[in-house]
Formats: sequence, C-alpha cells, structure tokens
Amino acid sequence: MSGTDRIGRTEPSYETWRRHLWEDRVLLGQHCGKCGHTSAAPKAACAQCGSRALERVELPTAGEVYARTRIEIAPEDFEGPYTVALIDLGGARVLARLRGDFDIGADVELVDVYEGEFGPAPVFG
Amino acid sequence: MAQPTVVGVGMTPFGAHDRPLAELFGEATGAALEDAGIGVDGVDALYLGNAMGGQIEGASHLAPQLASHVGLAGVPCQRFEDACATSSNAFKHAVQAVEAGRHDAVLVGGVERCTPETGLDTAAMTTEFATAMHPQYEQPVGLSFPGVFGLLTDRHMHEYGTTEEHLASVAVKNHRHGALNPDAQHGREITVQDVLESPVVASPFHLYDCCPFSDGAAAVIVASADAADDLAGEPVSVSGVGHATDVVPIADKAEPGATQAARDAAAEAYDAAGVGPEDVDVVELHDCFTGAEILATEALGFFERGEGGPAAAEGRTELGGELPVNPSGGLKAKGHPIGATGAAQIVELVTQLRGAAGERQVRDADVGLAHNLGGDTATTVVSVLEVGA
Repeated sequence: MSGTDRIGRTEPSYETWRRHLWEDRVLLGQHCGKCGHTSAAPKAACAQCGSRALERVELPTAGEVYARTRIEIAPEDFEGPYTVALIDLGGARVLARLRGDFDIGADVELVDVYEGEFGPAPVFG
Repeated sequence: MAQPTVVGVGMTPFGAHDRPLAELFGEATGAALEDAGIGVDGVDALYLGNAMGGQIEGASHLAPQLASHVGLAGVPCQRFEDACATSSNAFKHAVQAVEAGRHDAVLVGGVERCTPETGLDTAAMTTEFATAMHPQYEQPVGLSFPGVFGLLTDRHMHEYGTTEEHLASVAVKNHRHGALNPDAQHGREITVQDVLESPVVASPFHLYDCCPFSDGAAAVIVASADAADDLAGEPVSVSGVGHATDVVPIADKAEPGATQAARDAAAEAYDAAGVGPEDVDVVELHDCFTGAEILATEALGFFERGEGGPAAAEGRTELGGELPVNPSGGLKAKGHPIGATGAAQIVELVTQLRGAAGERQVRDADVGLAHNLGGDTATTVVSVLEVGA
C-alpha cells in the first residue's frame, strides 16, 4: 500500500495546504460527504461527525467577518499590533489576519498571505 | 460504589515565587495532609496536574519526583496535562478511582510557575501559552490566548449587546473578592474606570480584564466517605463530575461562543449530582478573562444567553448577591498558575462549604460548583460538591 492511499491519511496534507496557500493563494479545505461540514483545517476525519468520507475542496476566497480581536501584546516572533479574525466563508470558517477596520458581518476577501516564522496564514481585507 | 469526598485542602499563596516546583508542591501538600488529619502512609496514589513544566522549566517525569519530595515514593503516580484544565482532570480521575474502590484516599495536587521568576518575560510566556493552540492552523496566525477569548467575546458583544463596562464589572467584582482572600495575588480593589483606562492586550480586553501570570500550588485529599470517617478533616462530598471536549481549532467549532464543552460537562455533572443550576449556592469558575466569566455563567445555566454581562454589572454574582461567583477572587484576582488552578477551585469550594471562608464566606452554602476550562474552550471539567450529600 502506498503512502497516499492509506486509511486515515490526511488529504490534503498540511504540506499541500501550506503550498497552495503560499504559492497560489488558494485555500484548501475538506467537505464531509456524511454530515456536510466544511473545514479549512484538514484532518483525518470530520471534526463534527467522525466520518472519513472527506472530499478535498477549494474554499471560496470571499466571506464575512465573524469575530475579531486586535492583538496589542503579541507572542514572541510576531510584531503587534495586528488584527486576527474568524472569517465565515459560507460553510467553513477560517482563522486569518484581517487587514483594515471591518465590522462583524462585513464582506472581505483573501488579499494576501502572511509569511511568519511558523508557516503561512491567510490575510483578508 | 464508594462515595468520594474531599477531606483535606491546602494551597500556597498565589503570586510570584522564586522557589522550585517541588517546594511549592510540598507546601500545598503539607497543608492538605494536615487539614485531612492523614499521614502519607494513608495516601494510596498521587494524581498530579502540571501543564508546562516540561517546556518552561525543562522538568519532565514530575509525578514521581514530587511524590518523593513529599514522602510518597512508591505509590502509583500519574501526571495530567490539559492546558488550564489540568488539575481538574487529575481531580476527576482521582474521584473515579476512589468511587470505583480502587483507592481509599489519594492526593490530587497541581503546581505551576508562569511569572517572570521563571526567566521568561510576557512575550515569551504568551508564546508558551499559545502552544495549546493548533500548531498548523492557529499558531502561524499569531493568535494569543487573550485573543482567543477576545474573538469569543467580540462575537458575544455583537450578538447580545454585551459592553466593555459589563466586562469591567467582572474584574471589579473579582478584585473586591480577592481583597478578602489572603492567598490571592491581587489584594487591591479597582474601579470600572481603572479597567477601561488600562492598556489593551487583545481587544476587547484591557490589562485588567486579564488574569495575571502566577506561580503556586494547590492540593486536596480525595477519600471515600468510609475512609474519611476515620480522619479528623471535615469531608465535603463530591456528588458529580462532568468532563467534555470540543473541536480544535476554534474555527471548526459549530458555534465558538456557545462553549459547548462547558454545556456538556455541566449537564453531566448536574445529572450525576441530581441538582440543577438553581440549586447551586457558590461557584468557582474559569475567569481567565472577564468575557470568559460571562460566557461561563451562561453556559452553566445560571443566566440566559446574553444576560451574563448585565447580571455581573447588576451585582447578582458578587458576595451578598443571588449567586456569588468566584468568592476567592477567581483566576482574575487570586491568580492562575495553570496546572494548580483546578485544584485551587476545589480548595475554595471546600473552604466555603465548610463555612470556613471568613470575610468572604457565602452564606448558607450547601452546593458548590467548579468550572475549569482548558485551551480554546476545548476542554471543560465541571465538579459539584455538596455538604452531607
């Protein structure tokens, strides 16, 4: 059995997710064929129902602000202040940087990729 | 099934301690053993809570080290790690072991050091705490723990009209309570204006909306009611413990602000104890940030959704109010040495239910509830303790 068809493998892998975001500004996710949950954080099974019937999908790059926080005291290796937000992509939510002042419910789109010490993060604005 | 009780409690003052973990643990354990009137020969096992000793202090395999330090070498030891819910998970397993008849009396202890006494400053410790988040889908964004609860509280403010003044009233209350607790890190009262004028850490939270970095230890002796009969300590019954988890990362939770693990853990604990939120007289809950206390008072069923903020501002949760919340000062004023916090909540509840809390005593307290949350709300343990159950 090859490494790509083992039961329990994560598809897309983090490496694939990371490369798509970094190189192509594409947000990969998974859609659950059983319960319909869509996730922007790929796993070996659906976080809501446990099914392994997950389909790799490209997530929309436009959505709405769900919640925000302005980080003034940042962890090491980050330079505050900056805003972190949960973005509702219509089915999936993703944790992202938010560039600019937006209210909850405001329309935003993927405008950039933040390239920090620990990996890429989507930037909406 | 044996009836589990807590028959002895002890803790160090919370604050900054330039002492090794073992010395803090020894002080809390000595107090708990003394309070129970039990010798180490009567203790069957150690259930230890320590979340970050490996990464902060370079200290692993702590349970047998600490057992040896307090004269318990030889007993089975286990260490638990569930972020800020660490020692309440240790407590849960201890209660289950006593309930099942596996042990008659056990020591549950929690110990942690998180202040600059460790050599780590605020930015470095913020990074250590952030390791409890998803390493691929959360940490790279630069989210901090104040930020996690900032997101949940921002949404709550949007949906229900909760205000920064509501949040500040929680800090004011818990500082007022903490001023009555000699073991509290912050013994100074503050005003709503003090909170609102303090610098922002992660919106909507100002510095005074956030619990401090703390060092300290807490310990409790869990014993069967039969074993407790032979001891001098006044037992308080553990009538229900609930433990639930939720999805990580936060973006994948069905409704992040619902803090579903708290709702599920509370339902399990209430069911086991045969009580409901209306029966609870005193609460110690996880107010790592003021918004967290408001979310928790709603998730535990004390107030409808959206009413937690106004309830705090109206004084309904202060000492002398209808349901005193965090009479110890809570994490906010008593302090929050991560792995010791859950055990310290049990210490306060037992003290309250024995009627031994002095100036901060809740009148006619017969049923107490502890709510200890870990990570981005993904772990919650709820315990119900009762007098004479």
